[in-house]
Amino acid sequence: MKLLDKYNRLNIAATIITFVVGSCIFYFVLNYILIRELDETLQTEQQEIISFAQTHNALPEIIPTQDQHIQYELIAVDDAIMEVPYKTIKKKLGKTEENYRELQFTIKAGKANYIVTVDKPIEETEDLLKVIIAVTIAMIGIILLIGFLINRIVITRLWKPFYETISRVKNYHLTDQDSVKLEQQEIDEFSLLNTSINEMVDRIQQDYGSLKNFTGQAAHEMQTPLAVIRTKLDSLIQNEEVLQKNATDIADIERAVHRLSRLHQSLLLLTRVENRQYVLNGQVALDKVITEKYGEYAEMAEAMKLSYHGNLQSVSLLFHQQLAEIVISNLLNNAIRYNKQGGSIEIILKSESLSITNTSDNGVLDNTRLFKRFYRDTTTIDGTGLGLSIVKQICDLAGFAIRYNFSDGRHTFIIQFS
Amino acid sequence: MKILVVEDEPVLNKSIVDYLSSQQYLCEQAGNYKDALDKLSCYQYDCIVLDIMLPGGNGLQLLEFLKKEKKTDGVIIISAKNELDDKIKGLSLGADDYLTKPFHLSELSVRIAAIIRRKNLKGNNLVSFEEIEIDVQAHTATVNGELVILTRKEYELLLYFVINKNRVLSKNSIAEHMWGDDMDMADNYDFIYAHIKNLRKKLLAAGTGDYIQSVYGIGYKFSLR
Repeated sequence: MKLLDKYNRLNIAATIITFVVGSCIFYFVLNYILIRELDETLQTEQQEIISFAQTHNALPEIIPTQDQHIQYELIAVDDAIMEVPYKTIKKKLGKTEENYRELQFTIKAGKANYIVTVDKPIEETEDLLKVIIAVTIAMIGIILLIGFLINRIVITRLWKPFYETISRVKNYHLTDQDSVKLEQQEIDEFSLLNTSINEMVDRIQQDYGSLKNFTGQAAHEMQTPLAVIRTKLDSLIQNEEVLQKNATDIADIERAVHRLSRLHQSLLLLTRVENRQYVLNGQVALDKVITEKYGEYAEMAEAMKLSYHGNLQSVSLLFHQQLAEIVISNLLNNAIRYNKQGGSIEIILKSESLSITNTSDNGVLDNTRLFKRFYRDTTTIDGTGLGLSIVKQICDLAGFAIRYNFSDGRHTFIIQFS
Repeated sequence: MKILVVEDEPVLNKSIVDYLSSQQYLCEQAGNYKDALDKLSCYQYDCIVLDIMLPGGNGLQLLEFLKKEKKTDGVIIISAKNELDDKIKGLSLGADDYLTKPFHLSELSVRIAAIIRRKNLKGNNLVSFEEIEIDVQAHTATVNGELVILTRKEYELLLYFVINKNRVLSKNSIAEHMWGDDMDMADNYDFIYAHIKNLRKKLLAAGTGDYIQSVYGIGYKFSLR
């Protein structure tokens, strides 16, 4: 839900409740005041009648008017003098029934006692209620309309810098190496937001930079001792005597150094791909890459007497030349390494997907762990166990989907572009 | 042939110098940026083995210096940073080759030989060992003046052997030289064996001595018996 909508809902609800409650209170207060005023006029009438009766010792003559009725009723002398408080009554007047305010009191005029009833219609207060309801509804309508217009025009404009900031942040890529550089805004809150984002991005840039430096430095620091070991080993094997006694040991060390070096390079590559230090900015002719890479591996394939079926359409993708070569190379390497004597390799490249299928004596691979680091088929010990992990990371970076299929002893890796 | 080895790790520097010296190169050492700059401004080298990360500066700055001074020394970068950007930058600044650590000394030696040959275009294009002559321009080999038909891999192997003659070359270093680093052939030396077998057969048939010797299952050595 948009902030604006949420705010609007609250605002509308609050407005309606305020107006309804306010109107009710307003009605009751006004009603109370009007009734009291009516009561006061009734009381004035009472005073007038009483003083008339005292001075003239008789009751005044009743002059019938529209808004006031007086009625005398003779009562027995012994009846207690009583005064009935003001009350509202309903009275039939012709066809319509109307509300009246009534005051009854007893009075002595001459020798007789009378009950005097004075009443006045309270029609006006009912009219008032109607007016108040109408005004309330109109007010709510007007307020909502104005609120809507303000939101539409003003608030949308007010929030514009906010959405601008959001879109800038959304389009920001760490690897671009630029800071976002959001401008100061008229509104303090947005300025604060922009300054904070600027600072955060600068900080991230710095951390990223030092991380990148660290990877480079780590490589330097670790590869150099490795280079020393390797060169010393090269020197050592020139010594006939040493070699004669320690041939297998030296061969083992050499193998281990080679593995370590490859492992380290693979990990560095993985880290760089994960850190998105490669920018996919080149058109790569994938069919050419495959043909070229297969050429390099042809010797290996021939040695295992593999039959090769290639169906390559001309496909050009927005990718990275080196990364494309790594993906193809890793997949081909696996397809040949884990193949069986006299097996086959099938490569199908279409505009939307690439699939590499190979025969193998190995059974189905664990689909859930296949692309994890250091996953290795239990039957083999060679290889870094990072090849497929690298392929997966590169595919993720490029937005490709990779999946694995197994049927009839054939392993297939399918990369779906886009 | 004069070579300057710019490498801050003393042990590695010494190993390189020892190896290259044994191949009749005249070597000088520099362990930091300042030493390297001093030597570069005073002398002319046939080839410079250059590390990128140095105490007191960056190897790429040295490349810029060479470019500015219009020096034509051959340069091979040896770096632990296998980053494409560095590679492209180094090559665009005039470096001739780029080798990632850890490398085999025999590989370095082949690369240096290639750089020096390229730089000395007037010099001869022939690399020879006894009755074998290799024309690196035409990519051909002759024995006693008779052309020997070799495959590309066999030719590469022969050149590698001849340049690193009298040295024991591990199977691993041969594999890396022949198939590059990203192709993991380390676990399968049969290919090397097949190529060596064919090469030896062809050389013997052409009338050379049996120079390729297997050494304790570790590797091979190209030398007179």
